[in-house]
Amino acid sequence: MTSTIDDELWAAIGDPTRRRLLDVLLADGSGTATSLSGHLPVTRQAVAKHLGVLERAELVVSRKDGREVRYVVNEAQFSRAVEQLASVGAAWDARLRRIKTIAESIQELRSKVE
Amino acid sequence: MEYGSIVREIHIEAPPDVVYEVITKPEHVAQWWGFEASFPAVPGGDGRMARQRRDGAGTLVVPIHVVEADAPRRFVFRWVHPEGQQSTPQNSLLVTFELMPANGGTLLRLTEVGFREIGWEAAQLEAHYRSHRVGWDEHLSNLTAYTAGLVRS
Repeated sequence: MTSTIDDELWAAIGDPTRRRLLDVLLADGSGTATSLSGHLPVTRQAVAKHLGVLERAELVVSRKDGREVRYVVNEAQFSRAVEQLASVGAAWDARLRRIKTIAESIQELRSKVE
Repeated sequence: MEYGSIVREIHIEAPPDVVYEVITKPEHVAQWWGFEASFPAVPGGDGRMARQRRDGAGTLVVPIHVVEADAPRRFVFRWVHPEGQQSTPQNSLLVTFELMPANGGTLLRLTEVGFREIGWEAAQLEAHYRSHRVGWDEHLSNLTAYTAGLVRS
């Protein structure tokens, strides 16, 4: 498991509407912008935009279904997102170690100057 | 699996004012977080952090909203809320840095309130995940998390 959190994945699931979309897609198996907008208090256009963000983060994949585009959850990436929820602590451990290294080297420089 | 808030502590051999600078100054943030940061380190300050997307397709921008900036004691901010929106407990993560003088250096405590608190359907998420991957890897990660908790406590 990587210790670097994938901020793009975080940004994609940071939005409550997008999390709700993922929940609906998981429950129903698949959905289109039209069918999904029936589950949520937002317009079809807004749903389509959110689906675009989820698709760029590879959390969903789309295929043509007649005149509509049908979306399903990308299982592999979704599992990765869940793993990252679990590994967020490890990401902070790595960041804190870097903060420590930087602060201590600044302090070392300062004490040499004094 | 750990979905809740994260608490970490680390001892740093540098006084709180140095550590505070490292946490808040953009040139240092770039080093420890890998983001080009621009935000005013004052309460209510809105800013952004940016870096190249991993696939090379453009720039990833993550908004940041400074909640508290009390040098050299506390720095609190929200992040990951959608760009152009006000940060709220529903759409962002809350990160708190607390700096305490300790043994000539600083005890730095980090707290991040996670997605469980902001109401994602984590139970559904977890059930889904378990149905696909139940096995030793999960038990092992639980054990590792538990052991790490013991070491830290």
